[in-house]
Order: sequence, then C-alpha cells, then structure tokens
Amino acid sequence: MQGGSSGIGYGLKYQARCISDVKADTDHTSFITGTLSLREENEVHLIRLSSGGTELICEGLFSHPNEIWDLSSCPFDQRIFSTVFSTGESYGAAIWQIPELYGQLNSPQLERIASLDAHVGKINCVLWWPSGRHDKLISIDDENLFLWSLDCSKKAAQVQSKESSGMLHYLSGGAWDPHDVNAVAATCESSVQFWDLRTMKKTSAIERAHIRNANYDMKKKHILVTAEDESGIHIWDLRKPKIPVKELPGHTHWTWAVTCNPEYDGLILSAGTDSTVNLWLAPISAGDEPNSEA
Amino acid sequence: MGTDDVPLDDKAKRMRDLLSSFYSPDPSSTPNAPSKHGTLDAINTTSFDPDQYMNLLVQKSNLEALLKRHVEMAAEIKNLDTDLQMLVYENYNKFISATDSIKRMKSNIVGMEANMGQLLDKIMSVQSRSDGVNTSLFEKREHIEKLHRTRNLLRKVQFIYDLPARLGKCIKSEAYADAVKFYTGAMPIFKAYGDSSFQDCKRASEDAVAIIVKNLQGKLFSDSESIQARAEAAVLLKQLDFPVDNLQAKLLEKLEQSLWDLQLKTDEIENVSMDSNDPSKQGKVSDLSPTTAHEASVREFAEAIRAYRIIFPDSGRQLITLAQDLVINHFETTEQYVKRRISSANLLGVLRTIWADVLLMDEVLHEAVLPDFSLEAAQGAVKKYVASTFTYLLQDISDVLLRVNVSPKEAAEEHPLQVALEASRKAVLQGSMDVLLDFCQFLDDDLGLLVKLRDFIIDWVQEGFQGFLSALDDRFLLLSGRKNSSSPDQGLTEGAHSEKVLAGLVLVLAQLSIFIEQTVIPRITEEIAASFSGGGARGIENGPAFVPGEICRIFRSAGEKLLHHYVNMRTQRVSALLRKRFSTPNWVKHKEPREVHMFVDLFLQELKAIGIEVKQILPQGLLRKHWRSDSNGSTTSSRSNPLRDDKMSRSNTQRARSQLLETHLAKLFKQKVEIFTKVEYTQESVVTTIVKLCLKSLQEFVRLQTFNRSGFQQIQLDIQFLRTPLKEIVEDEAVIDFLLDEVIVAASERCLDPTPLEPPILDRLIQAKLAKLKEQNPITP
Repeated sequence: MQGGSSGIGYGLKYQARCISDVKADTDHTSFITGTLSLREENEVHLIRLSSGGTELICEGLFSHPNEIWDLSSCPFDQRIFSTVFSTGESYGAAIWQIPELYGQLNSPQLERIASLDAHVGKINCVLWWPSGRHDKLISIDDENLFLWSLDCSKKAAQVQSKESSGMLHYLSGGAWDPHDVNAVAATCESSVQFWDLRTMKKTSAIERAHIRNANYDMKKKHILVTAEDESGIHIWDLRKPKIPVKELPGHTHWTWAVTCNPEYDGLILSAGTDSTVNLWLAPISAGDEPNSEA
Repeated sequence: MGTDDVPLDDKAKRMRDLLSSFYSPDPSSTPNAPSKHGTLDAINTTSFDPDQYMNLLVQKSNLEALLKRHVEMAAEIKNLDTDLQMLVYENYNKFISATDSIKRMKSNIVGMEANMGQLLDKIMSVQSRSDGVNTSLFEKREHIEKLHRTRNLLRKVQFIYDLPARLGKCIKSEAYADAVKFYTGAMPIFKAYGDSSFQDCKRASEDAVAIIVKNLQGKLFSDSESIQARAEAAVLLKQLDFPVDNLQAKLLEKLEQSLWDLQLKTDEIENVSMDSNDPSKQGKVSDLSPTTAHEASVREFAEAIRAYRIIFPDSGRQLITLAQDLVINHFETTEQYVKRRISSANLLGVLRTIWADVLLMDEVLHEAVLPDFSLEAAQGAVKKYVASTFTYLLQDISDVLLRVNVSPKEAAEEHPLQVALEASRKAVLQGSMDVLLDFCQFLDDDLGLLVKLRDFIIDWVQEGFQGFLSALDDRFLLLSGRKNSSSPDQGLTEGAHSEKVLAGLVLVLAQLSIFIEQTVIPRITEEIAASFSGGGARGIENGPAFVPGEICRIFRSAGEKLLHHYVNMRTQRVSALLRKRFSTPNWVKHKEPREVHMFVDLFLQELKAIGIEVKQILPQGLLRKHWRSDSNGSTTSSRSNPLRDDKMSRSNTQRARSQLLETHLAKLFKQKVEIFTKVEYTQESVVTTIVKLCLKSLQEFVRLQTFNRSGFQQIQLDIQFLRTPLKEIVEDEAVIDFLLDEVIVAASERCLDPTPLEPPILDRLIQAKLAKLKEQNPITP
C-alpha cells in the first residue's frame, strides 16, 4: 500500500493480492490491479505511470462485485482483462471489458464479456497467451485445466477442452509458454507439470515440492523460473528437468511470485511474504536489490 | 743504370724520365698532356713540338729570360752528350767480356766425349760378372729354403701332437689362459686337416678343451671364486667361441631371481615392521633381525651386480634396468603399503630400508643414477601417503558424524547430539594434530631421501590441508543434504533418510564448522608456521599453499549456511504440519470451537524437539527476555509497542469495523518490529528464528483462507493457547506477541463474521486444555 522510500507510491483502499501489467497498452506503462476485501466493496484500478515517470495516475476506477484473487490483462486488447474472484464460499472467473472512458472517473460498471463458469472447485488463475493475439484462454482450478476459446465480439467463451490433473495433484497455478502456444506449465503440490494443449496430456514434470509460482523467460526458450516456499528461486532448463540450472536464495520467508524481465536477459523480479520485492541478476552471480513493499 | 748514382737534381731527374719513357712499354701513355697544357716542361715528352715550344717560349719570356734559357739549354745539351758517350762505352765493355767467356767454354768441352765412352765399357763388364755369381749360387739357395720350410712344418706337427698332453697339463695346473692360447693357435690347422691326418689329435684336444670350458663355466658361476678369476673365465670362454650371450642371459636371470627374493623380503619386512608397531609386540629384537637380514641380502645382490659388471663390462644397460626395476618394485610395494593405513613411522622405516638399498646399489652401479630415480619414485610415494592420510582423516570425521545417525535409535543416550559434537570436535582437532605430528616425523628425519624431499613435503602438507579442509566443507554440505544428491558419491548420503536425525546432524555440522573456523584453523596455522614454513617448490607467485584466511571464510559461510539450513529444515516440517491443518477443513463451514486443536500440540512437540537438539549443541545466549530488535529503528519499535498492545486488547472484543482501522494503523508500524533478524549461534536465537518463521507461515496460511465465525474463533483459541508456551521458549516476547496478533488480525480480515470468542469462554477452553495436558503429563514425561 505504500511505496518504499525511493519509489513512487499509489494507494489502494484495501489490500490487493494481484497486479498485472497492461501489455497491450504500448504507449504507456500501465498496470491493472484489484482489491481483496471480503466484506467491503472491491475495486479494480487502472494505473498509469505519468509521462515524466514521477507519478502514478489512476486512469480508471471500477467496482468489482467480489474480492479478486487473480487478475491478468489481455495481451492484445488493453481494455480486456480477466479476474478470478471469490464470494467467500465459492469462486468464479470472468473476462471483463473496461468501458470507454470519457474523462470521468465515476466508477462506471465493468462490462462482463464472458463468464468462465465451468469450474466447481477453487479457481487459481486465468492465463492468456503472453506473446500476442490468441483466441484461447486457460483457467486452472484445484483439479482441472480448462482451455477456453474466447470470442470477444460475440462476448462468449466456450470450453474447448478440459483435463483433470489426476488424483492427489492439486494444481495451484501455471504459466503459458510464450514460445509455444501449445505448452503450459502448471504448478501443483509436488511438481511442475507440463501440458500439451493439443492432446491435453501431461508431457513431463519437474519433481519439486511447494512451488508457488512459475514463469517462462520471454527471450530464451526452455527456461523456466520457479518460486518455492522455503527454498527460494530456481531457474530450470526444461530439457534437463532433474537439476536446476541456477539457485537463488529467494526471500527470508516464502517467495510468492516471480517473473522475468521481457526485455533484459537474466533480470528476475521476485516478491515474497517478507514484504520485499527483490530484483535479481541471474546469468552472472546473483545481486539483489530489495526495492519496495508489495 | 749508371744514372741512378747521379745526385738527384733537375737534370738527372729529367734524364731518368727520358730513359724510363724510352724503355717504357707504352710510350703513348704520356704524350697528350704536355701539348694540351703547352708548358715549357713538355720538352721531355715524345710528342715534343719544337715550333710550339719556341712560340711559347718567345711569347712567355722576355729577352733576358730567353737568353738565360738559351745558356741553360746549351749546357744541358752538352751534358746529355757526355752522358750518352759514357753509356755507349760501358755497354761496349760488357760485350767484350761476354765474348771472352764464350771462347773459354768452347775450348773446355772438347775431349769430354772420350771419357764417357770409357766409363760405359767398365760398367758393362761389372754387370756381366755379377750375373755369373748369381747363377752359380742359385741352386744351393733353393735347397736351403726347402729345408727350412720342412723344419717349420715338422715343428708345427710336433706341436699339434703334443697339444692334448699340453692341454692336460694346463688343466692340471689350471693354467686355462695358456691352454686357450694353445688351442686357439692350433685351431687353423685343425680346421684345414682336422678331418684327415690329425683326427685323433683333434679329438683328444677337443675333449681337453671341453673340460676346460666346463671348468671355466663352473668357475664363472661359482660365487666362491674371486671376481677377477670369474672375469678371466668369461674372457677365455669368449675366446673359445663359447656362446657367452647365453651365459650372460643365464647370469642375468640368476640376478633377477635374486631380485625377486629381495622383493619378497621387502614385503616381509613391512609385515614385520607392522607387527612390531603393535603395542603388544614392541620388541626391538624382532625389528632388528629382519632388517639386517634384508640388508645382507641386498649387499649380496650389490656384490653380484658388481661382479657381473666386471665380467660383462658391456652390460650396463641391462643392469641399470634391473636395478631400476628393483627400486620400482620397492616403491610399488610401498605404494601398496601406503594404501593401507599406516603411521608415518612405518613408512619412514620402509623408506629408510629402501634408501639404504639404493645407496648400496649406487656404489656398485653409479650410472643408473638410482638416487635420483628413487627420489622421483619416493616423491610419488610420499605424496600418495600425504593424500591418503588426509583421505583417512576425512573418512574418520565423516564416520564420527554418521554415527550420529545411528546411535540415537538404539542407544538411549541422553544427549546423542552433544556426544556427537564432542566426538567430532575431537576427531577434527585431534586428527589434524596427529596428522601434523605424523608429518613432522618426515621433516625431522635426516634420511637423505627425505631431506631432499623436504620442500616438497612442506608444500604437500600445506596443499593437503587446504584440500582437506575444502573437502571437509564439501563433505559437510553433502552430509547436510544441501548439495544435490546427484553428485557421484552417493553412499555417504544414505543416512539422509531419517529426517529427524539429519536435522540434528545439520546443527552439529553448523557448530562444528564454527569450531573449525575458530579453533582448529588457528591451531593448524600455528603448527604449520612452526614446522612447515618455507618450502619454495611452488614458486613465490603462487603464494603459500595453505591459506587460512580463505579456509576460515569457507567455514564461516558454511556454518551460516548450515545453520540456516537447519532452521529451514525445521521450519519446513512445521510448515507441512500447518499446511495440512489449513488446507484440509472447510473453514467456511467450521463448527463451534470445542477445544484447542491438536495441531497446537504437534507444533509444540516439534518446538520441544528442536529445543532439545539446540540445547545439546549451541551455547546459551545472553539472557535477554525483553530483547527487541536493535538492528532497525529500535526507538520506533519501542514506541509502537504500548500502542499495539492497547489495540490488541481491544481488538479481541471490539467489532470489526473499528478493528480494520486499527489494522491499518498497525500496518504503519509493522515494519518497525523486525521479524527476520540474523540468526546467531545461540539456543535462543535459533529457536526464536524458527518460531518466528513458523508463525509467519501460519499467518500466510490464514490469509489464504476464508473463515466463518466459528473458524475464526477456533484460530483465536489456538493462538491464545500458543501464547504462553511460546513465550517461555523464545527470547523476544514482543515479536511473538506481535506475530500472534498478526495471525488473529489476518484471520479476522479473512472472516465473514469476525466475532471473537468471549474472554470467559476462551479462558475456560484454555484451562480445559491445560488440565488435559497435566493429566497426560504423568503418563508421558
């Protein structure tokens, strides 16, 4: 809620669990974030870094019916994003469109394009293909992996295929390979599983417990970064799934999220429950730079 | 020339020029110059032009000069005339005397021809007479020559007939040299006529020679004969065309045979010296006798080699290889020996024996450069010894450490970890010191071999320690399971299955690392400085082989790593427990809390186990019950404390809305209480860190769930119960309070209806739990 001493801050009314960069907005540096409040009115904020880079400006403020557990922005249309939300007892996921703004910030309603309502259990995340326009979506709940085909103009999403992860594998999240439209990595309790979307079958797995988050390197093929509860950050070469290529110490408590810089090789950003965000330079030896609080 | 005698005035000079120009082979070489220059000197050249001269003279000179010139010229001409006359006269005189001599010669030659004719006649008559004498004596001379030849032949025949007898006589008197000389002298005749006229003779003498050869061979092989005699025998045999190479090979074989004998003896000596080093059989007598026996046999061997060399002087190369083989064999057995576990005294004994052998051999066979050769071999052996010593030390230490894994299961020892720590400390320190002492023996010994190797040994020991300590660090990490188990030596991680024990082991390793850094390394450094300084074989630019600073750094970081690893392992166990607790029930449909949930017991059990482990290994820290983080903004944290406590007391009873506000207020101060501090090597610090991490995990697990009122109350109850026991074991109560409150705040935030339990009910439930625990206590002490 509060920037570090050297950073720029932006205040939300309530706690938030997720933030996503708006990839499709090529003119500005924009982010979209949603609050997580069980009992209050939740909001989605569209934030833009001012041209001078000194200020974060709220570009839009929209009310969202439930607390938001996951949010990601559509990589080809800056006005579309997906959320995973919870009423406290049940979960839902939806695709939203930000209505045209005419300069006013009076909390207009978000337009629901589609509702991804085939899930029963706890939904974990919705994935867009990170590399560009693709009419498919993936949503992951505790037990299943869904592939949706999305038609924005018809405002409809249909389940294209579905596969259960199998007994005793509780999925917790995933990442879509930016280099291969058919490859998805899904994290579960004891491993990272790799799925081929054409056959909806598991292709391989990295056996590793307690992986919280995984992210592909946007530049280099076969490179996956994972964040784990106690043992920090690992960089894997998917062709050698036995031993990590590199090991970073991570955070003093859990490492929650990890992501690779899409432009610069070896820059990895990680966030942990010790309230720090660390920036790593991985190809050379690790140098971290705790930056600001999440 | 007569003119040469004339004093060199102008005139004479000109005349000489004149004459030389007259005699000169090429008169055209000079002519042009005067005409060109037109000087008055041109008068002496061949191309003299009188008209031009006159014109020039008239033009250039005045009358007086002309007159003077005229007078001069007239005088000159007169002089020239007289000179000419004199020349002619002299030449005429010479001609006359030459004519006279010719006349005399003519008269002398007449009459010589007649004398020559007489001389020829006389010579002819002398020749004819001498021919006459020659022919008359010819016949007699032929006869004499024939007689002479016959006599010689007869003498030879006599010699041949006498030969067998003579040889027999020689054999009797052992004058083999003469016999061989006679026989070789007779050989050509036997070759020519042996098959016909002298058959018997030949046979007899061959028999004799066979006897001689046999005797000579016997002499050659008999060790009792003097070396000179044997050498002579060899030479004689060679002269008799006996296949000496064969003999040589045979003798060499014999030497090799004795070499094998020697080698066996080396083995025996090792055995004996090993035995003698047993405390039970420490008898000097048993030690001495085999050594002397060995020495004697080596001396014998050396003598044999000396003899062989003299007998076959061209066999140096074979002997050198033989001797080198011996040394190689020695060192091979030594290296085999080194593979077993031996003390340096044993090795020293062996080396001493070898060196003595080498010196003995060197006297005999200097070309083999055996000392250098054995120096090289010894270098290898000693190096291997140093390496293997360190390997054994490493093995010992890890054995001691691995014993930790085994012992607690069977033996009901009270403090298995403490025992292990003490044992491993002792193993490291004592082991290192023993090794150093061991190596000191090498340096103190004045054996020539070792003196030369001194510098190398120093370097090896230093390098060895460097390598050993790094390897030890690696081994620690391997034992702790931090390294990827895909590394080659898998066998060492077999103890890693039982996790509980392993965690204790990690703690032991952490403490041991610190011990090594703070105690062992300074000791080793001291010792090395005292006994192993110098040793420049490595070169200065490489620096000393043993770098205590680097090793210290390695172990310090290893210690930290291991301690963190221990904390992590312990936290992970608790984390798994908590994860199960929070992910299994449906919190939204939770029932009224009836009692404190049993995960609390499990959690406290884990902490107790940790406490037991930690108490065995780590020192007690300073007692700081109300310690607060002094590393980050202590003033603000102390100020925030009463505020937070105040807030907390109310938050338990007040409604959610105001609570939210206070949560935010608390967030402002959240950073000020430092949760993640540096772990120190004290019981309290480690336990506190683990508890803090566990509580933080607990909070995060709570934040991931959504609770109904009962679920929230259950959490509240559990946390409230935890409060007292946790404070007992942790050094920083404030942080624990803060973290527990955080859990409750998180739970209330994630609760649909955050109505806390009434304090009386809370109290009653906690009392019930405590009573239940007390009831169990007598049963499970």
